[in-house]
Amino acid sequence: MVGAALACPAAALAQESARVYRIFWLSTQSQPDPFLDGFREGLRARGYVEGKNVVLELHYAIGNPQALREVASELRRGKVDLAVSSGPATRAMTAVEEVPVLFALSGDPVELGLVKSVGQPGGNFTGSTFLSLELAGKRVELLKEVLPNLRKLAVLSNANHPGEQSEWRATKEAAEKLGIVPHYVPFSGADELDNALGLAGEARADALLVFPDVLTMVHRGKIADFAIAHRLPSMFGWSEYCDAGGLLSYGANQRATYFSLASYADRILRGERPANLPVVQPTKFELVVNLRTAELLGIDLDKSSVLFRANRVIE
Amino acid sequence: MNSPRRSLFMKYFVTLFVAVVTPLMLGSATEAWFAFRDNRLYLNEILQVEARSAADRIQAFTDGIRDQLGWVVQFPWTQGEDDRRRIDGLRLLQQVPAIVSLSMVDPTGTERVFVSRVSMNRTGRGTDMSADPAVVGARANRVWYGPVHYRRDSEPYMRIAVAGNRAAAGIVVADINLKLIWDIIAAIKIGDTGHALVVDDTGRLIAHPDISLVLRSGAGAGDFNRLKSVVSEANGSAVSTTGEDGEPVVALAVRAANVDWTVIAEQPVLEAFESIRAALWRSLILIAIGIVFAFVLAYWRASRMWGPIRQLEDGVERIGMGQFDHRITIQSRDELEQLAIRFNQMAEELGASQQKSERINRLKQFLAPQVAELVEHSDQRLLDARRREVVAIFGDLRGFTAFTARAEPDAILAVLRQYYEAIGAVTASHEATLIRFAGDGVMVLLNAPVACEDPAQRAVRLAIDMQAAVQFLANSWNARGCAIGFGVGIAMGPATVGALGWHGRLDYTAIGNVVNLASRLCDLAEDAQILVDPAVTGHVKDSIALASIGERTIKGYDHALEIFAVSRIYAPIRHFDHRFQTAYVQPAETEFDRIAPKLSLTDAD
Repeated sequence: MVGAALACPAAALAQESARVYRIFWLSTQSQPDPFLDGFREGLRARGYVEGKNVVLELHYAIGNPQALREVASELRRGKVDLAVSSGPATRAMTAVEEVPVLFALSGDPVELGLVKSVGQPGGNFTGSTFLSLELAGKRVELLKEVLPNLRKLAVLSNANHPGEQSEWRATKEAAEKLGIVPHYVPFSGADELDNALGLAGEARADALLVFPDVLTMVHRGKIADFAIAHRLPSMFGWSEYCDAGGLLSYGANQRATYFSLASYADRILRGERPANLPVVQPTKFELVVNLRTAELLGIDLDKSSVLFRANRVIE
Repeated sequence: MNSPRRSLFMKYFVTLFVAVVTPLMLGSATEAWFAFRDNRLYLNEILQVEARSAADRIQAFTDGIRDQLGWVVQFPWTQGEDDRRRIDGLRLLQQVPAIVSLSMVDPTGTERVFVSRVSMNRTGRGTDMSADPAVVGARANRVWYGPVHYRRDSEPYMRIAVAGNRAAAGIVVADINLKLIWDIIAAIKIGDTGHALVVDDTGRLIAHPDISLVLRSGAGAGDFNRLKSVVSEANGSAVSTTGEDGEPVVALAVRAANVDWTVIAEQPVLEAFESIRAALWRSLILIAIGIVFAFVLAYWRASRMWGPIRQLEDGVERIGMGQFDHRITIQSRDELEQLAIRFNQMAEELGASQQKSERINRLKQFLAPQVAELVEHSDQRLLDARRREVVAIFGDLRGFTAFTARAEPDAILAVLRQYYEAIGAVTASHEATLIRFAGDGVMVLLNAPVACEDPAQRAVRLAIDMQAAVQFLANSWNARGCAIGFGVGIAMGPATVGALGWHGRLDYTAIGNVVNLASRLCDLAEDAQILVDPAVTGHVKDSIALASIGERTIKGYDHALEIFAVSRIYAPIRHFDHRFQTAYVQPAETEFDRIAPKLSLTDAD
């Protein structure tokens, strides 16, 4: 009793002094959200406990960045310490100036007008980029290496993804350089995915390239299964796709990226200005190969250089 | 009176205080200085070790890349082996994570193979790179390290080119992402917050534990350049300066020679000198305690010194005022206590000596000075009451009452003064006891308190001298028209003698019939006559001529006594001083003329 009586004011004091930070999480996708998981993990690693010293308010507007604009205006009025926008949601945030905004993008934040330069963002935006644009050609090249006879490539892309057009252009360029005909299959939102897969299946392509994106990420199992069913060797952007049955993936570790985004969140909550925090570019690119899928597809990977270059081989 | 007292106190106080505090402060200062020096040396060493270690690892990093690149330029270029070279390149990328892309250049300087982690690979005859500084540099020096550049204004990159042993082996040019040095630098921790950083020779940041500073591409390059030039000037020893974040730091620079980079190891001054600051605080607290202790000790010591001295001073003052019974109590068990004991002894002796001199002064009232001294120094009990054989002499002026009726008071006093003087001188010269003057009368005692030989003889001679002296004076008075004479009576017998008095007025006196008898004889005596009783006569009749003047009835005596008068005065008188000797001769004749009839008359009786 005495102990409790003594402890109570101390606890109250501690609670009073420890500020509870309010973070908005904005996404155009639906839950489950693998990016959010990565971010939460990063926050926990830095000593944040949800509900105790940080509150995450999740705002999802599936496939509708417009809906997030309202959230953005709410953001300006409310006492929000930080906003984190994932993928396309960042588009809805461009007008926000009052609150620091962290983003994670596949595309180029300079091109999107979010930051002045990668080294010195100069505004209230900073975050991470996956360099998907640069890697777009590399993915085509790796597919070509595994399938030297690759002639027609189906490209599945979520058109709502920011920078998607640039990625498509880069892919097209690379494919043409390698003598491949790309077959572009765009879709908007989860509703159109099945339809798009059907289109891709009808394209009689030799392989399938899927742009990394939260929507394809969420439905990676379905897409991988579709590829195997249609005997399409597939190439993805993140290793999670391979874990779900994709043949190949090449790109930055998205989980690590969101994890490191949490360290930026920590620094901003501690008072640093986003203007001085350079946009993080990935250093390591993972090449993951799923040998089981290769066997199912009857592809002999030993002939190519892919296996010794792989960072991880799923057997 | 106060200021010297305070100054003595202050002197002692300050001396003791300084004596304790100075060594303490000197000790602390020396210790602090040595501690500071050791700390500085230690810090220098730590920073040196860390910076050197970082520089070595950076060198190992670049050397490792160089060596790995060397593998792909071991064989001369041949036709149609581009694909094999491509595989070599891809394996190298696999082997060295820092290499982002690789160009293999044939001996003509043409790029044949390009592999990259990000961009698409190329094989076959490519661009002419023979003018590329990397190719030129590698051709000249086998190994070439390019300048640091920032890709997309953010990430630091550097190109390294390596040429094969023979020109035919071609050249490989690798693009290195220097972000990977971060692991080396981030691993270096100096104390809690100290760290290392790397800048190139233009002062641009290459590696820092806070990677975002590096990725800021040259922002704050001025700060780093300044830091680099300041620290480099110290030539490998630690300097105190301002760090990149504006905080004061202690920093040391070591060069990574092959790439011309500078590794700076730094630690915030606050942390670097934490231990010395703690030591200084300890010293300061010790000094403070020491000062308080010294203050108390010095005050206590000075008080112990000053207190007794004040007591002594006060004692001297009281003694000076005559308080000889004042005593000082000092119990310090040292020289001061000794001094106090001496002082008390001195006060006691002073008191005794004062009493003695008072007694002597009193004795001198009725004793000749030399007798008084004798009494004082021989035996105090001489003055005690006792009964003894004494000779009493009474003298009295004749016709003085009549004189006083006529004369002016001044004249009377002048006469008395001369008279007393003469009597006093004679009495003193015979070492007799002058008991008192009473107006024109005088009483002298012999054999008391100091015993003398043959007191009767001495008394008669004294009386003769007295007569001579007074008669001489009387002549001069008579010349001025006063008829004054002098008669003397002498008696001998037992009397009670002793000091007697009240409140310091102490008199030595004799009580007994002999005194009365002498007084009566004096009354009986005529001018210039000396009457003696039968007792005296019995003692002196052999040496001094006496004539009986017949029996007389004396008051207080049952029967008449035969009285004698000194008929002849023998001259010169012994023990008489010169003044009276000369003075005596002349008037003696006249005296004799004048008294002759009386003497004869007496003889006739």
